[in-house]
Formats: sequence, C-alpha cells, structure tokens
Amino acid sequence: MRMEEPRMTQAPAPQRKVDRDEVFVEFTKSICPLCKTPVDAQVNIRENKVFLRKRCREHGEFEALVYGDAEEYLSSARFNKPGTISLTFQTEVKDGCPSDCGLCPEHKQHACLGIIEVNTGCNLDCPICFADSGHQNDGYSITHEQCARMLDTFVASEGEAEVVMYSGGEPTMHKHILDFIDLAQTRPIKNVILNTNGIRLASDKRFVAELGKRNQVPGKSVNIYLQFDGFQERTHREIRGRDLRTFKQRALDNCAEAGLTVTLAAAVERGLNEHELGAIIEYGIDHPAVRSVAFQPVTHSGRHVAFDPLDRLTNPDVIKLIGEQRPGWFQKGDFFPVPCCFPTCRSITYLLVDGEPGNRTIVPIPRLLHVEDYLDYVTNRVLPDTGIREALEKLWSASAFMGTTTTEEKLRATAKALDCADDCGIDLPQAVKDLNDKAFMIVVQDFQDPYTLNVKQLMKCCVEEITPDGRLIPFCAYNSVGYREEIRTAMSGVPVANVVPNALPLQERLADTPYGSKTAAKEGPR
Amino acid sequence: MTPPGPDNDPVPTANEDLKACCAAAYSCDVVALLLGDSYHPGGAALTRRLAGHLGLTAGSRVLDVASGRGTTALLLADAHAVWVEGVDYSAANTALARGAAQAAGLADRVAFTTGDAEQLPYPAESFDAVVCECALCTFPDKTRAAAEFARVLRPGGRVGITDVTAAPDRLPPELSTLGARIACIADARPLAEYAEILKGAGLRVVRTERHDQAMTRMIDQIEARLNLLRLTAPDRLAAAGVDLTAAPAVLQAARDAVADGVLGYALLIAERTDRPRSVT
Repeated sequence: MRMEEPRMTQAPAPQRKVDRDEVFVEFTKSICPLCKTPVDAQVNIRENKVFLRKRCREHGEFEALVYGDAEEYLSSARFNKPGTISLTFQTEVKDGCPSDCGLCPEHKQHACLGIIEVNTGCNLDCPICFADSGHQNDGYSITHEQCARMLDTFVASEGEAEVVMYSGGEPTMHKHILDFIDLAQTRPIKNVILNTNGIRLASDKRFVAELGKRNQVPGKSVNIYLQFDGFQERTHREIRGRDLRTFKQRALDNCAEAGLTVTLAAAVERGLNEHELGAIIEYGIDHPAVRSVAFQPVTHSGRHVAFDPLDRLTNPDVIKLIGEQRPGWFQKGDFFPVPCCFPTCRSITYLLVDGEPGNRTIVPIPRLLHVEDYLDYVTNRVLPDTGIREALEKLWSASAFMGTTTTEEKLRATAKALDCADDCGIDLPQAVKDLNDKAFMIVVQDFQDPYTLNVKQLMKCCVEEITPDGRLIPFCAYNSVGYREEIRTAMSGVPVANVVPNALPLQERLADTPYGSKTAAKEGPR
Repeated sequence: MTPPGPDNDPVPTANEDLKACCAAAYSCDVVALLLGDSYHPGGAALTRRLAGHLGLTAGSRVLDVASGRGTTALLLADAHAVWVEGVDYSAANTALARGAAQAAGLADRVAFTTGDAEQLPYPAESFDAVVCECALCTFPDKTRAAAEFARVLRPGGRVGITDVTAAPDRLPPELSTLGARIACIADARPLAEYAEILKGAGLRVVRTERHDQAMTRMIDQIEARLNLLRLTAPDRLAAAGVDLTAAPAVLQAARDAVADGVLGYALLIAERTDRPRSVT
C-alpha cells in the first residue's frame, strides 16, 4: 500500500475537470479482432463521426470508424423496422451473441437473402477476397446432397424464400452449378443470384445461354452479380491481381445477349478506386444488361490490403463520393437507409433514367416522395396508404434485386404514391410500368469485420450464409467471428487458421496464412 | 362561381376567383401533378414538430384549415388522440379526405367539411387548437382568415401555421408567373408579416422558426416530378401549360431565391390572448 504525500503543508495545485472529447452513445458487444473473444464495446461520436471501441483483456484496445456521419447514424434509428420471426431456428441460445450462430431464437430478423458458397476454389487470386479463395487444392466443393440440404434449411426457415445467392470461391467453376440453380428453382425460392467474377461468362457463351434459359422459367429469375471495381488498370491489378477489363466487357455483352440482368458489384477501398464510383454508375446506366450497382466498402475479413481502421470507408463516405463525382445527378438525401436490417448497414436509392448516353436525366425516387414519411417505425402509426409502405419496404430491403418480379412489381406499386389519375388524367403506375427498363438501383452496403463488428447490428442481420451443416449464419458473423474457418476446416479436413484483419495497428502482431490472409503471430511483441 | 380550371386566367380579378384558383390549383391542376396529393413542404416531420407546440392533450379539439386530403388531420388524430375537424374549399378534397379517414379507421374522430377559411362554419371558441399548413399564403384576405382562426379558438388556445414565406417585391420575374400557377407563392408574405397578421387578430406569436430547407426540397421534388412527367406524359404537361424548356431557369430562380432569403418556409405558433377581438 502506498501512502499519499501529506498535502497539508502546501496548497495543492488547482485541478480542473476536463470534458471528454466524445459523446458516448451505445454500450454493446463486439469481438477481439485477434482472438475473436466476445468483449464489451462502446460506440462514441467525435467530430460528427461514429467510432466503435473495445478492449480485450489479452490483446488490448481497438478502435474503428463505423459511420462517417453521426447525425445520420442517430436519425436513422427511426427507420428500424420491427423484425420478422423466422419459421425455424437452427441453434439454441447458449453463450450469447455472437457465439450461438445460427440462427438462434434471439435473432431479430428472418433471412432476406441466403448465400450458398458452393466452393472455395477460384480462377483468380485477388489481393482482396473476404472468402480467402484462390487456386487452392485443399479447399472444398459442395455436393448435390449438401446443396439440396442447404436449400431445404433455407426454405424451412423462410417458407417461400425470395432470393438465394450462389457464391464461392468462384461458383461458375463448380461443375454442377447449373444443377444447383435447378435445385433452387424446383423449390419455393423465387430468385437466384449468381455472384461471379465474370471470367466464364466472358468466354463460355453456352453457359451464359443456359443461365438465360433458366431466367425464363415462369415465376423465377436468375440474375448476375458481377464483380466490377472500376476501369483503371491499377484498380484491377491491386484489387483483382489481373487486368480483367476486356473480360468484364465481354461478360456484360454476353449477358445482354442472353437477356440476363446484371448488378455491378464494386469493392471500394480507400486510395484504390474510390474515385471511380460515378464512372461505374454511368457505365452501368449506359449498358443494356446492367440495372443496378452495389458498392461495398472492402470488408476487412479474409484477405485484403493493409488498412487504417480509423480511416476506412463507410456508407455515408461512399454516398458523399458518389455525389461529388456526379453532382448533377445526386445530392444529399437521395439515398435512404434500409429498414429490414439495421439501418446503418445498407442504404439504397432507385433512379428513373432518361435520355441518351452523355445526356441523361436522372430522377432519384426519394425526390419524388417522402420515403421517410412511410418508413418511420417510431412515430408513424397511421399511414395514408399502407400499400405504398409495403412496396417501399420491399424495395428498401436486402432481398431487392433488379430483374426480380418482386422488385419490378414494387416499383410499379410505388408509382401509386405519385398517382393523380383522378385529377390530371395520367395513370402514373401504368406510365411507370413502361419505364421499367429505365429504373436503376444503387446499393451501398458496409459489411462488418472483426474491427467494426457490433452485435446490435449483427442480431438483426438479414443476409445469412447457409452452411453445409444446416445453419444460417449472419454474413458478418460468418466472416468475422471464426465460423468461416470452422466450416472450411470441417468441410476440407485441413485445419484453417483464425484469420485476423490486416490492420495497420496490428502489423507487428500478424503472420501470413497459406491463403494470403493474416493470422495472429504466435508470440507477437506487445 | 365560374368553375376553376387550368384554362382560367391565372391572374384573378377578384378574391373569389383567387380562392377558387388556388383551391382548384391544389385539387386538380398541374400542382397536383407536381406536388402530389398530400404533400406540403417539411412533410410529416414538420407537422409533428408543429403539433408538439400546440399543447395538445388527448381529447383536444383541433381545426385543420385547408385540410386538403386529410394528411395533417389524420396524423394529429392518430399521434395525439385528438378530435379533428378539417375544412377545405374544395369539395373533391373533402370527399377524398373522408375516404382516407375511413381507410385509416379514424372516421369517428376526424370529420371533414367543405368551407371557406374566411368564413369558418364553426361557432366561436369551439377549438383548442387551429392548424393551417401551406395554405395561408393562398388566402386572399389573410387578415380575415386570421381573425377567423382567433374567433373559433378558445382563449389560451393555439394556432400553428407552416407556410411559404416570400418577399413579393423581391421575387424574380420567373417566379411571379410560375407562382401564380403552381403554389400561389405570389401572394406569400415574409415571416414578419405573417406574425403581424396574427398579432392583429389578437394572437400572441410565441414561436417562429425558419425551415427554408423544406422549400428547397419542394423545389427538388417539383423538378423530379417534372422530369418524371416528361418521361411519361409530355403531351399532358404541355396541355397543362407547363413550358418544359423554361422549367430549368424557373427552378434555378427558385433555388436562388431560397438562397437569398427571398423565398422560404416557416413555422409560426400563436396563442389567443384572454380577450378575443370581435370579428367585424
């Protein structure tokens, strides 16, 4: 025990209390990015930005930027739609979130979108890949039986499921991928999305035609989610390791020819391709196959380039960049947060597009009607038209994809909000029906990683990885908490190391894994 | 009364014509086309903000002047459990508002009547609060309308107004023509003048707020709808007399006017002082 110096003899220096430099807004849970142990976390606001901070007993303190606009972070709370309870749960509540995935009965939302990773192998070795895929011979591919079981798990949980996405690895390399699409189409699953780098689509026209045929099945659709990060060679080399520009162009032209609808999916990283967002949108609008663009700040799970957790891209940052790069088209308020998941996870806008390339008129739908008057779940109880709310809920959701009948129907229903047929003699819903090929969707989705993970958001995640052992695991838990490593180990029989983010503050504590990602160094210096 | 319509002279010669013009504009003209059926600047968020300053309690009686299709009245009845009377100059709107009340299951607490804001069909001191959203600017005799608000309000009751503000002598020429047709902003007044009008009716102004951003958003919405209609129904727009080639300049003039403080949107709360004035 230490004795204080006696202070009677001289007057103590006057001490002034100082204020903290941040506003404490949430107490939550996260994980240690090194050992993945669940830890307490707090969310704080500094300089109108939102940060998540946590401390692991073993590994110390970690902090990451989670939202670039604190005002919007707080105001979006009112757009948090009450979740829908899944028909079935696959696990029990035992250790608490995020250790019981899933889905456990404490999960707050059903699965809007189910993802099946059909393999771990890929014909690319991208420097950025949350799945840590590549030319690897120690991975796995799922079988017919496994795929059928995964689909059945999804259907049991959803009843009638809206969308399943086949991913990987590179799913077009799986020799049974067309059969897997058939398995989905013979079940009550309305839409299939194929998530691909486009190499096979560029070179195998027969394969594209087979996809096109399946897109014509009545009541069903097959749509393409094409990795598309930009136009500069450097973008391609640094994100994909190869210049794939001609592949992308050919893949898109082949899709257009086969009548397939494409979403351009861009991984966006600071200092790499953040300046190409406007060009990607404009290219998408001009290409006949493309009906939407999805921007995803690079998920710092799996394999990625070194990054600064305090200066990463978040949804408001991406939206701001879009506005700066196409100021005549976009302004603040054109994007609206998605209520089905946690509203800070995803923002969407829909555009009506007219004119010729180079001379476009762009009408963002949120400028035509007050979306917030319909999707406010805290203060709004009575609504002039619940049909419009329902339509907007489907459009602003994780299951909305251009090319699906649900999304097209709901776009038409939304036009009812603009209806003035009684007065002005224009049947806008009918008129907008004719506009369907002029509607364009932009999604901005910031997936969580071991740095940014907040169980508050995770508990309402509506994008789930369907695992071969019959579970539905929230996408961000799957990639952050260790489930991906667990499943790959079980499926391949090859032990997979715990993957740790390649964050600048961790550089001295990291070691390489065989797949290019990082893991905790055995005796890292402290 | 001559039936109002888009072919009528937009510059009325008498107050009756102006009232008819504005009511008609809001119920069936190109305005409905461009603003939508239930839109006013600020949307539901501003209505809620307005309601928060009215001292409403469950069972309060509220009058919504120029109730349109009932959006504000229904929001108040639902969120504050109050009784609402809506009065609108357009019979078509009254009918639509009644339908909306039925659909919302609020018909037992919300009633709609066709009537004139300058001669409200209600006895004196019959309401705890009066609201009037985006409409006072369209009333030709604002002093008389304000006196009517005061008359039907009980002593201590409050009137809440959101409205277009404009400095008419400083409005650019593009807007005086568009204004007459679209939002009747040509007869909007500066915020201070609205406050004076209320004061003159024996209403003590307790709060004023500027919400000019709501006006900017309305301009954005008009532009978006113009573009939508150009995509879907260009011939109908032309028939309604909308000159699409002139639109960009007019919209830019409107944005500039908001930036210069010449055009805007405002919220006012006023309280009836104890001794009501008699209406002459």
